[in-house]
Amino acid sequence: MTETSLRRPGRRPPSSRGEAATLRARRRRLQPRGLPWIIPALVLSGGLIYYCIGYTGYISTLDWDGISPDPTSVGANNFVRILQDPVFWQAVQHTVLFFIVTFVLQTFLGFLFAVLLHSRIKVAVVYKVIVFVPVVLAPAIMAPVFRQLFAPDGELNWVLQHVGLGALAQPWIGQTSTALPVIMVITIWQWTGLTFVLYFAAMGQVDESVLEAARIDGAGNIRTIANIIWPDVRGTTVALAILSAIGALKTFDIPWLVTIAGPNEATEFLGTYIYKMTIQLDHVGYAAALSVILLIVALVMAIGFQLAGREREVRD
Amino acid sequence: MRLSIRSRTALRSLAVLAAASLTAVGLAACSTGSSGSAGSATSGTITWEGWTPTDTATAKLYIDAFEKQYPKIKVDYKLVNISDWVAALRPALASGKGPDVFDMQPGAYVTQFKGFAEDLTPVAKSALGADWKSKIAPIGISGLTASGKLTAMPVGSVYAGMLWINKDLFDKYGLTPPTTLAEWVKDCQVFKSHGQGCFVQGAAQEGFDQDTLQSIANSVQPGLWTKASKGEAKWNDPGIVKTLSIWQQLFSDGIMQSGAVGAQQYPDANNQFLTGKYAMVMMGTWYTQYTTKNALTAALGSAGTSGAKTFPMLPIAFPDVAGAGNTSEMYGDADFGLAVSTKSQHRAAAETFVKWMTTSKIGQQVVADQLNDIPSLNGVTPDFTKIALVDPTSQSQPVKDLIAKTATVTEPREALLSTDVQNAILAAAQSTATNKATPQAAANTLQQAAVAAGQTFK
Repeated sequence: MTETSLRRPGRRPPSSRGEAATLRARRRRLQPRGLPWIIPALVLSGGLIYYCIGYTGYISTLDWDGISPDPTSVGANNFVRILQDPVFWQAVQHTVLFFIVTFVLQTFLGFLFAVLLHSRIKVAVVYKVIVFVPVVLAPAIMAPVFRQLFAPDGELNWVLQHVGLGALAQPWIGQTSTALPVIMVITIWQWTGLTFVLYFAAMGQVDESVLEAARIDGAGNIRTIANIIWPDVRGTTVALAILSAIGALKTFDIPWLVTIAGPNEATEFLGTYIYKMTIQLDHVGYAAALSVILLIVALVMAIGFQLAGREREVRD
Repeated sequence: MRLSIRSRTALRSLAVLAAASLTAVGLAACSTGSSGSAGSATSGTITWEGWTPTDTATAKLYIDAFEKQYPKIKVDYKLVNISDWVAALRPALASGKGPDVFDMQPGAYVTQFKGFAEDLTPVAKSALGADWKSKIAPIGISGLTASGKLTAMPVGSVYAGMLWINKDLFDKYGLTPPTTLAEWVKDCQVFKSHGQGCFVQGAAQEGFDQDTLQSIANSVQPGLWTKASKGEAKWNDPGIVKTLSIWQQLFSDGIMQSGAVGAQQYPDANNQFLTGKYAMVMMGTWYTQYTTKNALTAALGSAGTSGAKTFPMLPIAFPDVAGAGNTSEMYGDADFGLAVSTKSQHRAAAETFVKWMTTSKIGQQVVADQLNDIPSLNGVTPDFTKIALVDPTSQSQPVKDLIAKTATVTEPREALLSTDVQNAILAAAQSTATNKATPQAAANTLQQAAVAAGQTFK
């Protein structure tokens, strides 16, 4: 940019090499360096994010209640205890199962809605709004609604009893066998709208001529979806997989507000366990070690998904 | 974009200033020092945060009476649900932006928050004299004292170990309150046959599960629960195993409502009992307030049934579920004390409020008349001539008997239990309730957890 501006027509060329050097030096002095501009952002990100991560790493080596002035250093003992903690492994199992179920169903439903709403459907805007509205509703607002809906004397059981399916009525969030599926259903209800929007946008980028060519070649709707649209939106699927995986690792609000991570730890996730350890039980060092493990798992998963997505693209 | 030398210098200065400000903000946030000035003792605005009184109308009565005597001190009460209490208070106090006065409960809360509470011994001495300890219920002082420091002044005490029943529902179906496990099961069968809920408990919350377990344990072997809490008996003692076995029976025999392990005592069980969906609930003396018309009407409104008909509720002894002939004794702690934050900017006014609430006869009389707490100041009793019960004929004597009985209680409720042990008790209760563990296995796990939590046993 600087060189271009120096050679703009109408400007007098430097009369000598020394004069040009002086001019360049003067320009360097006058041009702002990048550092001052990025300092506020650097301080914010470095201070508030990376410093906190480092501090959490330090706390994870302590036996500390978060308040007392004399924490005890325990080295890697917190990590050793975590690996022997059955509740931690339960939380990991729930997270993995939660990710698989919610990702598969959200992807299926979101993709299906996107395909349907790309067809010439009447009042499509209304459907779009209906599908997307749950995304903008705060879990804290919806949690009491779901607690009531799935309560033993709640609306779901009422409906079941009034359509002749009373035998299926049960305390959905009050028993270990159904509490986790209920949390999954709520999550799918809430986030399918986002999956739908991303697929809807991605499908808008699919080359029309390819679709037309496929139709001329005799491909039906299912074949077109499976062989053209689905591969074309792979990038979106990979992005959603990363978001879902990280979301599953961070899951906290719905299980905490609806089931308090119970009953009998049936809906315990890493997020709820960290909260319980920090706030309710004062084991801040242990909770920090859990957080470090959570961070590492999240990073490994995100990198893994990215690499898998890239390899696939290269092969294709 | 180009800048002059002057603006470039200014930019650098700005950047350095931004960095310095952020650092300063960070350091300020991390600062733990206490504030300097105590402010005026007779004027100012103070904030009081607590999980109890559980309805703001009761708190307002206390505050109105206080402000009548100290018109220049304004008290703002903020009610926080007990399940959110630690999460809300901890960062508030740590940041220095917390309340001036906050509720304190014996046991785990004292351990957690004693560092943020002023030693109120001088306040007690100035109000009641050198022999102040003899003028306050001892159960309040011991539970709120840690490392020789009086972390809070006790407002009143609460006791548990009884059930509350809806008299109208028992009368409607011609039932008598249960005194044994078999009668309890039978009552529930009758209620259920009429589509009426029987007993409701929020078994997802440890504090209330502990109440039921302690009552069962007292039926099995009086005093065993307290012994285990003190480390004089193990948590896998045969008596505790039997306690867990009977607890499990409450679920398998249909006494506990369906889905109890997923329900919370507040708001779920509380609302369902108050709205008449269930006929019995396990609550303590704090529920005495709902024998009054005013408090019950307000509570029904909070439970989402504004305009609902009030009903007389009665306390009954916890049934002899072990069949060993032991009437379950009550147990109790200071319900709550009022602590003054070390970081308060209005410590003097806060101390005035705490002193008035806990040591003045007027303040304690207001507390007594709400029937939420048994007042901690000796000699103060509820003035029943001013208290409008829902049905004085049926309620008056049982309520008076209950209050009189509390004077003889010696067993603590939660004061001896750490948060880790309480968490382990909840795990044992839930694992047996959901048949994920046998009573023996759950008791063994509880014992291991208690040892791991640092509890020592003889």
